[in-house]
This record gives sequence, structure tokens and C-alpha cells, in this order.
Amino acid sequence: MVTEKNEKDQVQDSSDQSSEKKTNPQNLNHSRRRFLKLGIAGAGAAMAAAGGITIIRRMEGIPHDEFPLPIRDEFKRIDQRNQINVFANSKALNDKHPERNRSFNTQLQKENPQGFKPFHFYETRQTFMAGPYRDATGYSQLERALAVAGFSSARQQLGGGSMEAPDSGVSSWKQELLAKNQFRFNSPKEATLNIKSAARLFGALRCGITKRDKRWDYDPMYDFYKERELSWERDFPFDPKTVIVIMAEMDYHTMAAAPSWMQDGTVGDAYANAIKIAGQLTIFLRQLGYQAVASMNDLGINAPYAIAAGLGEGARNGQVITPKYGPRVRISKVYTDFDLVEYDKARTFGVASFCLNCKRCANSCPSKAITLGDPSWEPTYSTDPDYIWHASRGVLKFHNDAKKCAKFWIDNDGSCGNCICSCPYNKPDFWHHRLVDAQNVIAPGPVHAFMREMDIFFGYGKVSDPDRVKKFWKLGKSV
Amino acid sequence: MMAFTWYLLGVLTGGVAYVLYLISRKITLNWLSWSGLIAGSSLVLFSIAWAVGSVLEGVPRAASMGILLFGLSGVVILTLVGRLLTLKKGGG
Repeated sequence: MVTEKNEKDQVQDSSDQSSEKKTNPQNLNHSRRRFLKLGIAGAGAAMAAAGGITIIRRMEGIPHDEFPLPIRDEFKRIDQRNQINVFANSKALNDKHPERNRSFNTQLQKENPQGFKPFHFYETRQTFMAGPYRDATGYSQLERALAVAGFSSARQQLGGGSMEAPDSGVSSWKQELLAKNQFRFNSPKEATLNIKSAARLFGALRCGITKRDKRWDYDPMYDFYKERELSWERDFPFDPKTVIVIMAEMDYHTMAAAPSWMQDGTVGDAYANAIKIAGQLTIFLRQLGYQAVASMNDLGINAPYAIAAGLGEGARNGQVITPKYGPRVRISKVYTDFDLVEYDKARTFGVASFCLNCKRCANSCPSKAITLGDPSWEPTYSTDPDYIWHASRGVLKFHNDAKKCAKFWIDNDGSCGNCICSCPYNKPDFWHHRLVDAQNVIAPGPVHAFMREMDIFFGYGKVSDPDRVKKFWKLGKSV
Repeated sequence: MMAFTWYLLGVLTGGVAYVLYLISRKITLNWLSWSGLIAGSSLVLFSIAWAVGSVLEGVPRAASMGILLFGLSGVVILTLVGRLLTLKKGGG
């Protein structure tokens, strides 16, 4: 009995203590504080999770139903005869338009009266990549050999032709190996996945599929070898419905040697890979019973097609910046009449905002061809029609003077690559760069300018660096 | 090499967490001390990962700048927290 009473008393005491704890103002404050702390921690965790999801979504790109760059009514399709490389390779076009060379020389003389040397697009182009070796790192017989070898495969695949020449080699318009029966995919989604899987096997870094958009196709096309115009309606073998866009990677370490002849080695090599993949994908589609034609820099403009296919965003240097690799890619395309596919959407990754503030490519451009200004509807460097004959109008973008770029190639006796090498988006695929990318997609403009400075501070994107040439020649030990 | 670095960083992170646990058993840590210790340790570990990544990608300058910027910041924070804890302990 005594024990039972004691137990009851103890229970009663404990109950009193508990009640006292509850009613004690100090204890009440303590539990409120704990509740508040937990609440703050929970809210912080929720905010961090929401922020993380936002960053991941932005890094995957914000999808757009329409083409992401504003376009006005004055926009006209580009005549391929006005493409710089086509004009520079065509004697007939140079003879037809002497005012173009004249106007460019007047500008060059105005900009550099002391060191002016007459320039002629066609005549100077004939000795391109064939000049004497130089007594400078990156310009010896060794680097010239690398550059010519790099381009050799692309040239062989294109039947000795240039990247801009339509209907040659792998990009022939003849529908060879076309199967009689058309393969039926279970769904458009499956068709897209199967095509992209084939592209992956053939070596594509990235692949996107978009509707054929006549705005981005040359009209007319031009074959400068035969000096003849080509029409979509009269000459092209079918009415394309779909364009498959393929990206091939250029080597980071070789591109780091820009603007020396060495970087041409990876430019040519990536061209070879890009056209090889496009050629194989063309045969894949023809074997499925659909007409297809591979295309390098002919048929249509690569950049808007790559943007429309969701592979990247237009940059200040006029190229497409793709996530992870930046502008260090070469683009090829496949035009086909197969349209039962699920098309990709254009995506924006925050590149336009970064380019507005960065300007590193423009600062690194040896010919000052890249604008330091903001996007515009037409060129801002001149209003003379004889000078801006190659420029597009009616698209809000960065307008660059491609003629100056072409002239530097001739002066350099090899292409350049400075705008690719110096771009902060041009990085090897390492985890810490993805971390920087993650903050770039959410950070406001001034942070982008700061990131550009940090990129320089950390030693990235240096151009004209002889050490990068020397370093390249030691990379073979890991093979 | 990067895979080995991640493994090593995992071991180091575990070690740091254990040391923090031992400290917290000896000294009562307030939110400021906890924040400082976690931030400082994270920055030092991050700088190691950054430096190894930069060396592997062939940009040694980025490695040294990473150590300078992230690693040094971490060490400074840890030193300040250590000083704060010593003062607190000394002050009773």
C-alpha cells in the first residue's frame, strides 16, 4: 500500500512539474525560440531547394516556342554569293563587284594610312595557308603540317571541295542508297530518340532537330567552283521539311594556341568529324527510305539552325555558344524530307546577358572585327552599301565586320580562333566550370563583368601564348 | 586522378565532421561558431578540389589562384573562429 501511495505521489509530483514547466514563462520562451529556429532552418532549406531547382532548370535552358531573337519585316534571306568565303573564292563574283574590294581598301587605308597594303578578296585568297614558314613559335613547318593534315580529311570527304560548296562529296545531292520502303517509327518521340542515338554513335557531341526554316537557307545557293547559282525549287532534289543539327567538338588544348597555325589543326579535324557524322546520318535516313542531304557551311546558316534546335545561343562573336563547350564546336546539318519527329525547342541559357557585359572576344580580336557595342538591327560599323554587302538586316544581334576577320586570316596565313579561345564559356569539361556556369545563369549583369575579370585572373583564355604551342607538343605522352 | 581526389575529399570531409563533433563535445558552440567552422572547412576542402581539377585540366595558374582565394579565405575564417573560441574559453 505504502509503495502504491508513493508511486501515486510521484506521478502527481511529476504531473505538477510538467504543468509548472508548461506554464513557466521562461520555458515558454525557450520552446518558442526553438520553434522559431526550426522554422527559420526549414524556410532556409526550402529556399535552397527552390534555388537549386531554378538553377538546374536555367542550366538546361529556358524553352521558347518561337525563335529567341527578335526579327523585323525587313529581314531577307541571305544570297550565298554574299557569304564572305564564297565571295573570296569566286573570281566571277570579284570581277562582277569591284566596288566591294574598292570600298574595303578605302576603309583599310583610312584606318591605317602608314601600313596600308592593297587587299583583294579573290587574289589574296589564292595563297591562303600556303605562305612561307615563319621564325615564330606556332608558325613553323610542324604547325603548318598539323593544320593541313587537320583539314585533309574534311576536304577528302567533300571531294576536294570547300566547306561552303554545295553538292560535293559526302554532301552530294544524289540520293544514293535510298531504300524503297519507308520505315515507320512508333511515334515522333521515338523517331527523334532513334535519330539522336545514331548521331551519338557516329560521334556527335550534341544533336538537335528543328523544322526547316527558309529564313535561314541561302537563296539562291552558289557553287563557286562551277560559278553557278542553284535554286531550291529547280535544282535541290526534294522539299526539305526537317533539319538535323550536329555539333562536333574542337580540342581545347589546340584551340588554346590561337591564333597560331596550330589551332587550324583542330578546326579542320572538327570539320572532318562534323561532315563525317552528317554524311553517316544522311545514309542512315536514306536507308530508312527518306531523302536526305548532308551540309557543312552550305545550304543554310549554321548558327540560327543550331539556336532553333536548342543547342545553344547566339554570341557576340557571331558563333553559337553551347553549354559545357562554349563556342568550341563545329556545326554540320542534315536536310531531310522526314518530318514525323518531335522537334526540339530553342533554349536560352543566359549567354546573351553574359555577352553584353563580357566583350572578351571583341577585345581579343586582332582585326577588331567584333563589335564592342550592343545588339542592333543592322551593322553599326558602316552604312555604305558597298561596304556592308554581306551583312544581314532585321535581326537584333551583334553585327560584326566579317571582312576584317577574313583579312586577318590572309595576313596570318591561317585562320584565327582568338574569339573562341578567349571566350569564358570555352572550358574543358570539368566540374568546377559547371559550378561557375550555375552561378552565371542566375547572376545579374555586373556579376558577369566580374566573372570575366576573374576568368582573366585565373589564367583562362589567354591568346597568342607560345607556351600553349609548346605544351600541345607534349600532350602525346598520355596517348 | 579526379576520382581518387573525390575519394580523398570524402575521407577528409568525414574527418572534418568528426573533429567538429569532438570540438562540440568539449565546448558549447553557438550558431556563429558553427557557421564559421563549417564555412571555413568547406572552403579549404573546396580549394583542394578546385586546385586538383585545375592542374588536371592543364591550367596551373587557376589552381594557385583557387588556393589563394578559397583556401586562404577558409583558413582566415577558421583562425578567427579558433580565436573566438579561445577567448570564450579563457573568459570562462
